[in-house]
Amino acid sequence: MTRDDPVKHLFLWPAFLVVLAVAIFPLIYSLANSMMSLRLVPPMPARFVGVDNYTDLLTNPRFWHTVRTTAFIAITSVALQFVIGFALALALAKRVRGVNFFRTTFLMPMLVAPVAVALVARQILNPTMGPLNQVATFLGFPNLPYLTDANWALGSLIAVEIWQWTPFVVLLLLAGLQGLPDDVYEAAEVENASPWQQFWGITFPMMLPISAAVIFIRVVESFKIIDTVFVMTGGGPGIATETLTLFAYQEGFKKFNLGYTSALSFLFLGVVLILSLVYLALLKPYLEKYK
Amino acid sequence: MTRGLMTTVGALALTLAAGPAFACDPDYTGVEITATTQTGPYIASALTLAAESWTKKTCGTVKVVEFPWSELYPKIVTTLTSGDDSFDVIAFAPAWAPDFTPFLTEMPAQYQEGEAWEDIAPVYRESLMVWNGKVLSQTMDGDVHTYTYRIDLFEDEANKTAFKEKYGYDLAVPKTWKEYLDIAEYFQNNVDGVYGTAEAYRRGGQQFWFLFSHVAAYASHPDLPGAMFFDPETMDAQVNNPAWVRGLDEYIRSSKLAPPSALNFSFGEVNAAFAGGQVAQSIGWGDTGVIAADPEQSTVAGKVGSAVLPSSTEVYNYKTGEWDTFDQPVDTSFMAFGGWQAAVPQSSKHQEAAWDFISHLSSPVVSGQAAVTGGTGVNPYRISHTTDTERWSKLFSDREAKEYLGAQRDAVTADNVALDMRLPGYFSYTEILEIELSRALAGEVSAQEALDTVAKGWNELTDQFGRDAQLSAYRASMGLPPLQ
Repeated sequence: MTRDDPVKHLFLWPAFLVVLAVAIFPLIYSLANSMMSLRLVPPMPARFVGVDNYTDLLTNPRFWHTVRTTAFIAITSVALQFVIGFALALALAKRVRGVNFFRTTFLMPMLVAPVAVALVARQILNPTMGPLNQVATFLGFPNLPYLTDANWALGSLIAVEIWQWTPFVVLLLLAGLQGLPDDVYEAAEVENASPWQQFWGITFPMMLPISAAVIFIRVVESFKIIDTVFVMTGGGPGIATETLTLFAYQEGFKKFNLGYTSALSFLFLGVVLILSLVYLALLKPYLEKYK
Repeated sequence: MTRGLMTTVGALALTLAAGPAFACDPDYTGVEITATTQTGPYIASALTLAAESWTKKTCGTVKVVEFPWSELYPKIVTTLTSGDDSFDVIAFAPAWAPDFTPFLTEMPAQYQEGEAWEDIAPVYRESLMVWNGKVLSQTMDGDVHTYTYRIDLFEDEANKTAFKEKYGYDLAVPKTWKEYLDIAEYFQNNVDGVYGTAEAYRRGGQQFWFLFSHVAAYASHPDLPGAMFFDPETMDAQVNNPAWVRGLDEYIRSSKLAPPSALNFSFGEVNAAFAGGQVAQSIGWGDTGVIAADPEQSTVAGKVGSAVLPSSTEVYNYKTGEWDTFDQPVDTSFMAFGGWQAAVPQSSKHQEAAWDFISHLSSPVVSGQAAVTGGTGVNPYRISHTTDTERWSKLFSDREAKEYLGAQRDAVTADNVALDMRLPGYFSYTEILEIELSRALAGEVSAQEALDTVAKGWNELTDQFGRDAQLSAYRASMGLPPLQ
């Protein structure tokens, strides 16, 4: 078969069509919907509205509120997941008694469905009958509004996110730690470097690429948070804990405002993309330095 | 040989004689109808149970297709608008009726007469099943808010004495919302381990129906029917008038007389709080009484009293802008949600069989059994559901049954029954309300501020959806004739 053999099309086109049908078409279809006024409830004839859905959203204070809420939950929870996860990974990387038991136990939360986690959390955080209330009451703080006051509710959601997803951070960082070369540490020992110096001088820089990847994955995933919020607070009080995906759900599946929801999805994509690019740009010099 | 022949002839004769007993009546042999509703068990299991007995009766079969709640509306609306014949029976939320009615068949005349027809509570038969003068659906579940209380706490001598001393009148089932709040306050402050009341306050947790129940007493004027939510002549939102503000203020007050976790209560938690003996009283659908009376689910079984909702002697007149005063609390009830409806699309190829199935499903016997079967989600909607105490004796004590059934009956036959809002774009309207309610309950805004925002949002939505179309649908939903 030569380069100009027409048979090449027989091999290329099926793959191209599959990619078109599976990946590109839904995106184009969704993009087209985002430029339409398309409501199922009440049923209204679809009409082209250009970028009206986008301008409506960008001037809607609720959209910006959900962007801030989502970003706050994602950034705060991922930052704490990383710190706690790194500490746990360092502890589990050592050859201590029962390490396998601890590794398995620490990984269990991420295996549970978020909805189930949220339901359990809702019971634990019940301000009259929950076990946390019993402890808080013993300490002199009864009936705290864990899920019904805006600040407490945000804190509760972040706490649940940390509990569930820190194991993911541990898992990847532990794999990274186990791949670090021993000879570097042996050399440091010879130079009488303290554990603290070894961490900041060797471990942390060498773990930077994998840390950057872990944080990136977790931030992107955290931006998609919906199930935990839906079950624990429903987005309330008011819209205090409403995230971007929950907002999209309300528009799409309660109000069936499909054009608006499609525009919202693309703006959501834009927000995540911008944050990701900023994150990677900020990190680039450090990654280059420790390459 | 002779013996064998005799046996065969005998068997044949027996079969012929018994024939009529096993006949299909009416005969729908070979007919399969497809019924759709939300994912079970609620409502779907009622359809399935009825399908089994309908198959035995008619030899036809019913395929029940279930969709998650969020998918049910778009599935039905797209099949109806496209003329698709996928569904012969649709079981749907009454709020969706305005969008479905142009595509539904009218109930055949034979089902609109006789004892079984008259047995359906008038509010369903004359209002919720009717659209622009035509019966287009059949109620298959009754939904009205009632009041539930702890008999033992209310009849405790110490409570009775202390209550009278503090409030100057007897501790009894409240006739007004003020009395309801007094009772809540008394138990909250004076009885250890018992909170004043329980209602749903959670955003997305049916909260707005509980507000509507408070508001109905003040905004549903007996002389001005259908004006609770909108001015039925202009479609201007009424949601921020003084009646609504008063209702919301009282709803907020009730949240402070409820368990500390109540702002996160959906109706499920209300039931749990009452059945768990946490609260002295609650309002909600009939499920509360049934769950609380069940010793396996409840710690207060045998002590569950029921009554109609509290009301008011003052009702706001939106036309004069004044409060009208009545000698006695107005006999007002609120048809929260309004009960699932079953209907037959015009596109169905088995309309006759489909209506026969609906008639069977909602017959006094079949629906009566469903109403006392846990998990069907069917609450009483026929008069006979509330008079056949024998059927309820498995669930309730005599007094509990009498009060529960009396409350259900009196609520749906009240002189001033307030209908729920049924409008195209229902969830767009209620979402705005839910957000502001949630903010008002959290103390972020006052009742007036919250409702002013809601009114603005509702008026904008009405304009967006088309004011004339919305007004026409609203009037039809409230049983009012079209404007000339």
